[in-house]
Amino acid sequence: MISQSSCRGAGGSGRVMLRLASVTKEYRDGEVVVRALRGVDLEIGAGEFVAMAGPSGSGKSTLLHIAGALDRPTAGSVEVDGHDLATLSERELARLRRDRIGFVFQSYNLIPVLTAAENAEYILMLQGVAAAARRQRVRELLAEVGLTGLEDRYPRELSGGQQQRVAIARSLASGPALVLADEPTANVDTATADSLLDLMERMHHQRGVTFLFSTHDPRVMRRSHRLLGLVDGRIEGDGAPADLLDGRL
Amino acid sequence: MIRMGWRNLWRNRRRTALTMTTVGFATAILVLTQALMHGMVEGTARNATDTFVGEVQVHAPGWVTDRSFYNSLAAPRPVLAALAEAGLPAAPRAYGFGLTARANKSAGAMFWGVDPAAEAGAFDLPASLERGSFLTAAASREVVLGRKLARSLEADVGSEVIAVVEAGDGSIGNELFTVVGILQGLGETADRSAAILHSDDFNALFVAGGRIHEIAVNTRGAVAPDRLEARVVALARDADVRTWRELLPMVSDMLGVLDASLWIFSSVFLLAAGLGVTNTMLMAVYERTHEFGVLKALGTPPLRIAADVAVEALLLAVVATGIGAGAGTAGALALQRWGIDTAAWAGSTSLAGVAFDPIWRASFSLGALTTPVLTMWLVCVLAAVYPAASVARLRAVEAIGRT
Ligand SMILES: Nc1ncnc2c1ncn2[C@@H]1O[C@H](COP(=O)(O)OP(=O)(O)OP(=O)(O)O)[C@@H](O)[C@H]1O
Ligand SMILES: [Mg+2]
Repeated sequence: MISQSSCRGAGGSGRVMLRLASVTKEYRDGEVVVRALRGVDLEIGAGEFVAMAGPSGSGKSTLLHIAGALDRPTAGSVEVDGHDLATLSERELARLRRDRIGFVFQSYNLIPVLTAAENAEYILMLQGVAAAARRQRVRELLAEVGLTGLEDRYPRELSGGQQQRVAIARSLASGPALVLADEPTANVDTATADSLLDLMERMHHQRGVTFLFSTHDPRVMRRSHRLLGLVDGRIEGDGAPADLLDGRL
Repeated sequence: MIRMGWRNLWRNRRRTALTMTTVGFATAILVLTQALMHGMVEGTARNATDTFVGEVQVHAPGWVTDRSFYNSLAAPRPVLAALAEAGLPAAPRAYGFGLTARANKSAGAMFWGVDPAAEAGAFDLPASLERGSFLTAAASREVVLGRKLARSLEADVGSEVIAVVEAGDGSIGNELFTVVGILQGLGETADRSAAILHSDDFNALFVAGGRIHEIAVNTRGAVAPDRLEARVVALARDADVRTWRELLPMVSDMLGVLDASLWIFSSVFLLAAGLGVTNTMLMAVYERTHEFGVLKALGTPPLRIAADVAVEALLLAVVATGIGAGAGTAGALALQRWGIDTAAWAGSTSLAGVAFDPIWRASFSLGALTTPVLTMWLVCVLAAVYPAASVARLRAVEAIGRT
């Protein structure tokens, strides 16, 4: 893991974590072709904490899916942590997602038959980490996200905010370099959103993980270190949140 | 992760219960139909052999085609002794043609000279009576008649019947016998012509001098047909040894046809059960497409997803087939014990000179569980893995759907 402390929050270490070049994505729905991304060029350095805003349908989720190797672009190239995704097989993509990328969904998407601890453990199990080490790491991680005592609860026994904490713990368990979060605070109240942001920021600082998350909430945007504005599948703004938000409002 | 598969099964209890019921029911029915089919084939064979034909018969060469009174076994006593020694139940018989008459009625008959004790030891013949009783142990001028022969003579138990035959020394044998029993329907030939005498009476009537035309061996299934034939051939070197399948080719062929058609029937049934199970499993897997998408997004390799679903399906199959096999076994054992009385809709049946028991019994063996159980396992796993593999091949976003 990269060891630097001060410059990270300011905007990265110089190493590129995510690079999108001329990325387009079209969805074909019978006769209708929806152009969700229309040539996105984007570079995010290792250790950045980036928010992405934009109206509904502007392509935020699409961009995150493509960046997270959950989907392939129609055209253009995507590079994650130095890997050109176009050159990787499905197997290699799965391995990359498992080892290097964490994903947090708006609707949590925990596995309902697994407890909080087991959900967080799942990727470690895929990685073949021994059971004892797994349990130890997950206990620490759940303590860090503030879920001590709730390890053995099933997702349905947890509140939305608690579920999203489990999801964040899950996304971090494998020690990824990049965490992508699609509207992680959309389904929770403001206070919970704040505490989730606190958590993400703390993880970012402590672990040097690169974060890219989408949001509709200006309060959340303000807490990022860099804000991207997406409109109609294009990046129309990129800069400090204060500049962008005050300029637009 | 067996734990995950197990919890997944409990997650949608109704669906799991439905799938399990389908699988269990299919297994039970398969076990039951197999036992019934096996029982029918085995019962038919038993029926054909146990009354008097036997599993293997020994004759002098050529007798089967010419049925000549003079073409009897060269050395029947050593063969009988050897069979007794080997513990193979057998009955010696002599046959001779002649006339029976009572008052102004007369009819041709095939006289059998039998050893009542030996018949009772190896065959059901002594018990296969419509009326009266079988011959007593000692010769006392008694006769048991085929039912149609008795009817043509208008004879009943207690009647006296005259037998007129051409004896072995060329003289005319002539004797009066008392009817002690009338056989039940045993098939056309026996019904029309059988006049069964004690061997001593037969020898006196035909001046036969202890001739034996036939030794019928019957172990009631205790010895496998091939091995029995081989053993008898070894004991009766110069004789003509035939299995009942050769002696009753029509019954044997019919069993072949029955076997084949039942096999086709069970294949069709297996296919139908398989489709039913496939359908439930397909639904169960496709219902969870979204979840598999999430697993994919987390970096689960497609093969792993398919393997997890296979484990889950196998768990379900093992439990469900266990229950189904138990129920099927119980049913099969019950039908083996009590059988189904087909007389109500089939009446009395006879084919190729052999009458059939109207009670249709199942025949169950533990080995009969293997095919249905293993097949259901295979069907369950394939039916689950196929859709799981197709879901696992989707891109993660496609499987997750719009989030
Ligand atoms: N699977 C799909 N099939 C067809 N069209 C799609 C699909 N996914 C997204 N789209 C379309 O692509 C465009 C961008 O969608 P996307 O979900 O990326 O927007 P978004 O910015 O995340 O919106 P929201 O803020 O509502 O989440 C939209 O017009 C959407 O209707
Ligand atoms: Mg979205």
